[in-house]
Amino acid sequence: MELSPQLATRFDTLQNRYPFKRSALIPMLMYGQDEYGFISDELIAEIAKRLELRTVQVEETLEYYSMLHRKPMGKHHVQICTNVACMLRGGNELLDQAKKRLEIGHKQTTTDGVFSLEEVECIGACTGAPAMQVNYDFYENVTAMKFDRIIEELDAGNHPAPEPVTAGALHPRDPAETPVISRRFGIKNSHKLEAYLQHDGYKALEKALKEMTPESIIDEVKKSSLRGRGGAGFPTGMKWSFVPKDSPKPKYVICNADESEPGTCKDRPLMEMDPHQMIEGITIAGRAIGAAKGFIYIRGEYRYVLDIVQTALDEAYSHNYLGNNILGSGFNFDLIVHTGAGAYECGEESALMESLEGKRGYPRIKPPFPAVVGLYGCPTIINNVETLSTVPAILLEGGEKYASRGTPKNGGTRLLCVAGHVAKPGIYEIPLGMNMKKFIYETAGGIPNGKKLKAVIPGGSSCPLLSASEIDIPMDYDSVAKAGSMLGSGGMVVMDEDTCMVDMARRIMHFYAHESCGWCIPCREGTTWLRKMLDRFHAGFGRPQDIDLVGDLAKNMLGRTFCPLGDAAALPTISIVQKWRNEFEQHLSGRCPFKSAEALVGSR
Amino acid sequence: MSDTKTEQKLISLKINDRDVQVPPGTLLIEATRRIGTEVPSFCYYPGLSLQAACRMCLVEIEKTPKLQTACTVVATEGMVVRTNTEQVRNARKYMLEFLLTNHPLDCPVCDKGGECELQDMVFRYGADSSRFVEEKIHRPEEKWSELVYYDAPRCILCFRCVRVCDEGMDVKALGVGMRGANSVIIPNREDHLECEECGMCIDICPVGALTSGTYRYKTRPWEMQYVPTTCAHCSNGCKVTLSVRNHEIMRANNRDLSGINKDFLCVKGRFGFDFIQHKERIRQPLVRKGDMLLPVSWEEAAQAAAAKLKEIHAKNGPDSIGFIGSNRTSNEENYLFQRLARATFGTNNVDHHRTVDYTGLITALGENAADSLLTMDQLYHSQAVLLVGNDPTNQNPLAAWQIRTGIRHFGAKLFLINENEVKLHRQAKVFAKVGKGQEAAALRYLAHEEGQLPSSLVGQLVQLKAGLEAESDVAIVFGAEVSGAAIAQLVAFGSRLPGKTRYMALGDYANSRGAADMGVLPDRLPGYVHVDSAANRETFDNLWSSAISSKPGLTAPQMVEAAQSGKLKALYVMGANPFAHFGTLGYGRGKLEFLVVQEMFMSDTAKAADIVFPAASAYEKDGTVTNTSGEIQLLRKGAEVMGTRTDFDLLRIISHQLERAGLGKAFHYKTPAAVFEEIRKAVPGYNVPSVGLLTGNAEPTRIQIARNGHAPYDVPAGLIRSAQDTLFTSGTLTRFCTMMESLQEAEAKS
Repeated sequence: MELSPQLATRFDTLQNRYPFKRSALIPMLMYGQDEYGFISDELIAEIAKRLELRTVQVEETLEYYSMLHRKPMGKHHVQICTNVACMLRGGNELLDQAKKRLEIGHKQTTTDGVFSLEEVECIGACTGAPAMQVNYDFYENVTAMKFDRIIEELDAGNHPAPEPVTAGALHPRDPAETPVISRRFGIKNSHKLEAYLQHDGYKALEKALKEMTPESIIDEVKKSSLRGRGGAGFPTGMKWSFVPKDSPKPKYVICNADESEPGTCKDRPLMEMDPHQMIEGITIAGRAIGAAKGFIYIRGEYRYVLDIVQTALDEAYSHNYLGNNILGSGFNFDLIVHTGAGAYECGEESALMESLEGKRGYPRIKPPFPAVVGLYGCPTIINNVETLSTVPAILLEGGEKYASRGTPKNGGTRLLCVAGHVAKPGIYEIPLGMNMKKFIYETAGGIPNGKKLKAVIPGGSSCPLLSASEIDIPMDYDSVAKAGSMLGSGGMVVMDEDTCMVDMARRIMHFYAHESCGWCIPCREGTTWLRKMLDRFHAGFGRPQDIDLVGDLAKNMLGRTFCPLGDAAALPTISIVQKWRNEFEQHLSGRCPFKSAEALVGSR
Repeated sequence: MSDTKTEQKLISLKINDRDVQVPPGTLLIEATRRIGTEVPSFCYYPGLSLQAACRMCLVEIEKTPKLQTACTVVATEGMVVRTNTEQVRNARKYMLEFLLTNHPLDCPVCDKGGECELQDMVFRYGADSSRFVEEKIHRPEEKWSELVYYDAPRCILCFRCVRVCDEGMDVKALGVGMRGANSVIIPNREDHLECEECGMCIDICPVGALTSGTYRYKTRPWEMQYVPTTCAHCSNGCKVTLSVRNHEIMRANNRDLSGINKDFLCVKGRFGFDFIQHKERIRQPLVRKGDMLLPVSWEEAAQAAAAKLKEIHAKNGPDSIGFIGSNRTSNEENYLFQRLARATFGTNNVDHHRTVDYTGLITALGENAADSLLTMDQLYHSQAVLLVGNDPTNQNPLAAWQIRTGIRHFGAKLFLINENEVKLHRQAKVFAKVGKGQEAAALRYLAHEEGQLPSSLVGQLVQLKAGLEAESDVAIVFGAEVSGAAIAQLVAFGSRLPGKTRYMALGDYANSRGAADMGVLPDRLPGYVHVDSAANRETFDNLWSSAISSKPGLTAPQMVEAAQSGKLKALYVMGANPFAHFGTLGYGRGKLEFLVVQEMFMSDTAKAADIVFPAASAYEKDGTVTNTSGEIQLLRKGAEVMGTRTDFDLLRIISHQLERAGLGKAFHYKTPAAVFEEIRKAVPGYNVPSVGLLTGNAEPTRIQIARNGHAPYDVPAGLIRSAQDTLFTSGTLTRFCTMMESLQEAEAKS
């Protein structure tokens, strides 16, 4: 196949960039699709030839990822999020409007090939809900008028300006906030090296390289009580210390920037406004475990963020903060930014490694854990963007000082993005242990329109939901766990009294059924069964025995699936059936009490 | 089997309150099987990578909060495991409930009904009712090739097929498409698989998702009888189980994982049986009347053959008659065939189409042969393999499988000397690519550092030699490229390696080794003992009341030449097509006076015959065969084709007619088993335990001969000729295998 010169150059670069060729597969598919609008048989054959794969190996990978298309999409691919945060703020209505305006349905293309439409899962714009993407451009707080204007401009051949930064990331500081990793948010050109250097940039790296040993770096991180900000909350220093010191194999650091937990949009601003902080953190982590190479795996939807990070990497290389003999220390470290292609499951660390190796994002059997057998079978540490972005601050102010910002065993601060029915949705950096109720009612401005609070997702849709009576608790990992939920990824979604909890359970299950990788039986079949049943139930065709069945099926998944995705689907479902059983019973009358009969027509 | 070198300390654990001891590294699922406790599973398959995907094998382990998959947890000291608690039973029950939600439950029309792992599992562990009332996901059935069909709704996504194709076959024709509940298995190409068409995916499938083009919708499993026998095609001797209904073969597989090949079969073993019912099968004796071969009665044909042979024998002497035997007939038939030549007619003019030099190997190894011949199982367990010539993937599929699997399971190292980039080069540590026909030159260099070779090749050979010298257990495997003196050089090289060295010659056809072992050779009696030795002849003369000639006879090429020129007056051919291989091709029988042929189909040779006897195939007879590694296995009669007789019967008939005509002694063996009893006594190395054979195992022969001052063995050029079969050919049988002929891959190869 004849490629354009740019694409040929990009393919040449990609296929020589990784320790193993196949790793280039997903980026090649993404950039190839960008050029041709879809992935043709010829493109598959070309990539297979370049990577020495059989075509079925290319096809099985590409079919896994929801952003990769085998049919031509429109020139402007309109992707509307209807996941929980957007749903609460009009995402479904926006989708309906788009269907009418463009006269096409989900995954359809207009006859002139200009527009195509897709209902998508959380795109990480929860604090700007409802949100959509046109190709890689983000548009947030999309009102009906704003949507029409965007479409008109696109139709006229113009390029309506996308959001400059994640909505909700920039706001007047609340007194309860303690900015540490977000302290450069709002500074002019904060993503550039020059601005970063003016605000303590790369001082921690210099300290790590010149004044500290790998062991003392790990000790300092242990002292900080830093726990993983991706969702699981595993102590970071301990994770680093599991890497074998005497392994003859190369070691790797992976920054997990596959942010896709519904309700979560904090890694996006961290990367777009302060990419150097993350790069510095990754490099220090590399030093701590003795790695010479690192990867930043960014979800495919965040292409503009990837471009920002790539520019930052180029700057860091040109100033010797990356590359060989960094700052004269003798330490070499390379960092590669890598795009995903649309798969929530790839946020799971071992699935991410499979994906980074160019395969389907199936999780791996554990043990062995990545610290021993990770990427390419080599010792690997993998941490979330926020976790790694925190490392420079810890080294600069000291682990103990950082830890003292939070509560015991829950060191420091973290970013919370609060979305849904609050007056001031946004991304706030607060000390761990802050009271949840206080945070919702004061920092986030409470529930608008004088409504009462009904439910809270504390940290992404994988957490059990809390009812209004359960939120007077400190927000640290242990206290939220004690209350029966999880602090999770920091993606808080607040629901007011008019929210239909059956609809919420339905929408949550739609997400997990869509994202289940299909590897193990209980998750693959359980999520789909529950999705169908909740659809039926919410549409008014429920049977009394279905209420128990929903909870029962969720429990049959719980703890029996291959990876945590099954639990993530089961836990919120179980909590909703337990806490809002009355709403299920109300639906037995044949209609949703929270929606008018008209609205139910066409309800999914 | 594997050596019990060091005494391993066993791990003690408790399973369901029973004390169990297992070697370190044993998976729980295997530990439970040791005590006869079944832990169900779909995705776990011994020998393939672990998945933990089906979650059927969840068990309780004390001090572990969640249920654990027995297929991934390794037994540790003091572990307490329970496999039958209420929690475990519920987990299984609800896992099956999940699994059935999108399963079509079309068991009444499913090929797998009655032998389906999902059916069995639901019967044993499932719920008695389903709570699923939603719509099932449906997809249409797909045809992936003439042999492989995929029915996605039945698929339970255990990924066995994908793994066996990738890990086992190194083909990678299958993958997984889509995701979540929409996941499906996808083929390499939409219209055909572009694969080796081995059908491993079909037989490894626990349900009816992958079905066979030759078997689907034909019958039900309980309507058939199952006959274990040995594959009729290549020389590797895979055990194959014929599923037979009313004397007709419906399918072939080996799902009980028994025999030397366990679950392995190639396309020929699994699908290459339809030739037996081909419309061109000869079903009546034929006698030449003018230009025509016309059907006659058995009596007429047998009497005519005996009378004419007797006449020629009387007129022109014993050496005016030649005997060309078969690579496909049983050991018993081969033994009787050379007895007919040597004892009845008194000539050593007996040979067969030799496809590899077994005689050369046995002679080169001499007194050490019994100990130095490699079995298929030893090939799998060898630490290093030196492969000289041949393309096992195409010509010897089981040998290729054993090599690949040894590399995968034990990290064995493969060293290649070959003129072609054969598929196994992907697994090779060192690949010494030689010029055309230069394998022997490379061996001479290895043995004596002699000869002019390109420096790059010398570098590779030095590397190869160093690699082999580092191993304690080396398998040396070679094809037709290495014969006579070159084998002696190979053995000279091998004997100087520090490790234990064993050898395997790779021939073609199902019983080429048996033909050589049984003395279907002009200079060797059964067991490779030389005809010039009076003591050797005496053994057999005593058995047969004969006087075997001490003069070595003509080889097969010489016999055809002599027949065409008229020097040889009569030729007796059993299961061979010499006019297609030897002499002046296209010249047929030439000036030959009389030609008798026992055949299944009208080959070039049969068409030229004066008398043709319709012969039965290997699937239609009892007996034994010896594979290329010298392991004996049973043939068992599976099918019956009207009008044919086994070559055993045909030889007996002829011997009786000859006796009546006044020549030689009739054969009084009532069954092939009676012949085998004589073989066990008379042929060195063949006295194998018969109980091993009866249980479906291969028994290695222990042939060895004394060198006794014979000159170094060498063979003339052209005597050893590989059949050059591919995966999709089986000599002249191929064109009667309709299913194989229909494959696109077969077309591409020819």
